[in-house]
Amino acid sequence: MKPTSKELTATQRMQPGVITLSGFLGSDTRALNEIIADDAAMLERLGHDPEELADRMEYFTRTSWSSYLDEELIEGKYKAQTDVYRGKLPCPYGHAGLYRKAITRLTNMQNGISVVWTSLNIHLIKAHCFFEGRGSAFRIEPETLVKALFE
Amino acid sequence: MFGTIIKDIAVLAGISGILAILLVIAERFLNDYGDCRININGKRDITIKGGNNLLASLGEKEIFLPSACGGRGSCGTCKCKITEGGGPLLPTEKPFLSKAELEDSIRLACQVKVKTDVFIQIPESIFNIRKYTSTITEIIDYTYDIKGITFKLEDGEEIDFKAGQYVQLISEPYAKMKQRVSRAYSISSKPEDRNSIQLIIRLVPEGICTTWVHNYLKVGDRVNFTGPYGDFYLRDTNADIIFVAGGSGKAPIKSILEHLAVVGIERKMTYFFGARTLKDLYLTDEMKAFEKIFPDFRYEPVLSQPESGDGWQGKTGYVMPYFKDAIRDPKNTEAYLCGSPGMINAVCNALTDLGVAKEKIYYDSFG
Ligand SMILES: Cc1cc2nc3c(=O)[nH]c(=O)nc-3n(C[C@H](O)[C@H](O)[C@H](O)COP(=O)(O)OP(=O)(O)OC[C@H]3O[C@@H](n4cnc5c(N)ncnc54)[C@H](O)[C@@H]3O)c2cc1C
Ligand code: FES
Ligand SMILES: [Zn+2]
Repeated sequence: MKPTSKELTATQRMQPGVITLSGFLGSDTRALNEIIADDAAMLERLGHDPEELADRMEYFTRTSWSSYLDEELIEGKYKAQTDVYRGKLPCPYGHAGLYRKAITRLTNMQNGISVVWTSLNIHLIKAHCFFEGRGSAFRIEPETLVKALFE
Repeated sequence: MFGTIIKDIAVLAGISGILAILLVIAERFLNDYGDCRININGKRDITIKGGNNLLASLGEKEIFLPSACGGRGSCGTCKCKITEGGGPLLPTEKPFLSKAELEDSIRLACQVKVKTDVFIQIPESIFNIRKYTSTITEIIDYTYDIKGITFKLEDGEEIDFKAGQYVQLISEPYAKMKQRVSRAYSISSKPEDRNSIQLIIRLVPEGICTTWVHNYLKVGDRVNFTGPYGDFYLRDTNADIIFVAGGSGKAPIKSILEHLAVVGIERKMTYFFGARTLKDLYLTDEMKAFEKIFPDFRYEPVLSQPESGDGWQGKTGYVMPYFKDAIRDPKNTEAYLCGSPGMINAVCNALTDLGVAKEKIYYDSFG
C-alpha cells in the first residue's frame, strides 16, 4: 500500500530529534502504514479495539495521576504510578493539542506483566492505532498490553 | 503514432516548464510583502520584512514572546492581542483560544503571518525579555536525577527578574539531535545575583533537553537562553505563607527564599517539601539554614515512602495532614505551590478545606 502524503509527513515527524529524542519508529524497517496494519490485525485477533485499550490506559493514568506521589492500588490487582514531568508534546500527525510528558507504569499483579506508556501513547493508540515501531523506547506490544490491561 | 506521442510529451513538458517558471515568478512577487510595520502598544513601531510569522518577526528585533514549542503551533504560549492586521483566524489557532480570548482578539503569534502593518498589544514586561549567552561555571549533582547548574552571563551582562520566574534554555545540537529546542526552567538563584542564574533540572526519560543537560553539558560550555518569563512570584502582603514543592519544584521557592534572605521578611513561613524516599531529598541543610535567618520559618521535608534502611526520623506520609499546625489564621494565609498536578490538586483541596481562600493559592503546576 502506497503511503499517503499525511503518512509521509507523520513519518518525517517521527524521526529521531524532531518531536522526541529517539523518534517513534525505533529500528523498524516497515513503513508506518504497515506497522499500524500489522498491529491492528494482531489486536483484532486478540478481540480488542484500539479505543477500548486507550480508554482503559486513560483510566489507569487518570487514577494514578491524581494521586499525591505514590503508587495506586487499583481494582485490587493493579499497581499504577504516573510520573508527571512539566511540559507537553504535540502528536506527530500534527493534530492541534498537546499531551503531557507523563509516564505511567502499570503492573498487573495477577499475571506479573508490567507495561509503561506516556500520555502521547494513549492518543497515538486511540486516534491512530499506532503502538510505535519495534525498538522504539515507548513501543508497546499489543499482546502484552492486552494481557496487562484485561487479564 | 510513436512520433505523435513524443511530440505530445514534448509539448506537455514545454507547457509544464513555462507554468513552473511563471509560478516561481508569481510566488516571488506575490510573497513579497515588502517592509511591514508592527505597532506595539500604540507606542512603539518596529519595521520588519513581511512574510515571516509574528513570533519570529518580533524575535528578529529581540522582542521575545514566550514559546514552548519553538513556533510550531503546538504549545499555545505565544498568545498576543492583535487589534489590526492579523488576517483571519486560522484553524491551527482555534483549539488554543478560549471564547473570551477570541472575543479579545487574542491570537497565536507563531501562526499569524505578517503581510501588512500590524497593531499588537503585549505586556510591558515582555520588553525585559532578552536573549543571553552564558558560560556554565558549576554543575552539582543534587540527587540521582536532579542537577543544579550555574550559568554565568557574558561580561557586563545582567538579568533583571522576579524570584519565581523562569527562562527558556536553548539546547544545542548533539548526537542525533540536529535541531535546537527551547525548554522552560525556573530560576533557582536569587535576583540579586544579576550576573548569573542557577537552574535545577530533573532528568526526564527520553527527554531531548534534559538528556543534553545531564549527559552532554560540562563546565565551560557556552549556552543560550531567553527570559525572564512567568507570573509566579511572592505577593507583597502581610499574610502567613505556606510553600509546598516536590521534585524540581524546589527551584522557584529557593529563589524566593534566597531573595527574602537579602531583603528581610517578618512574615510567618512554613515550607513543606514532599518526596518519596530519602534519595529524593536535596538541599535540605541549605533550606534548614533559613530557619536561623528568618524570624519565623520552618522547613519540613515529608517522605511518603521512606525505605527501612533510610533511618528517616522526620515526617512521613503526605504533606497535607501537617498543614493544620502551620496555619494560625486561614483568612490571613497565602500558599505558593510548585509540583506535580496530583500534589497540587491534593494540596489545594486540603488548604481550601482548612479555609484558605482559593484566590490566595498561587501555583506553578507541572501540568
Ligand atoms: C513554566 C515551566 C517551568 C519549568 N521549570 C522546570 C524546572 O525548574 N526544572 C525542570 O527540571 N523542569 C522544568 N520544566 C519542564 C521543562 O520545561 C521540560 O519540559 C522538561 O525538562 C522536559 O524536557 P525534555 O526536552 O528533556 O523532554 P522532551 O523531549 O520534551 O519530552 C520527553 C518526554 O516525551 C515523552 N516521549 C518521548 N519519546 C516518546 C515516544 N517515543 N513515545 C511517546 N512519548 C514519548 C515521554 O513522556 C518523555 O518523558 C518547566 C516547565 C515549565 C512549563
Ligand atoms: S510558540 Fe508554541 S504555539 Fe506558538
Ligand atoms: Zn494525533
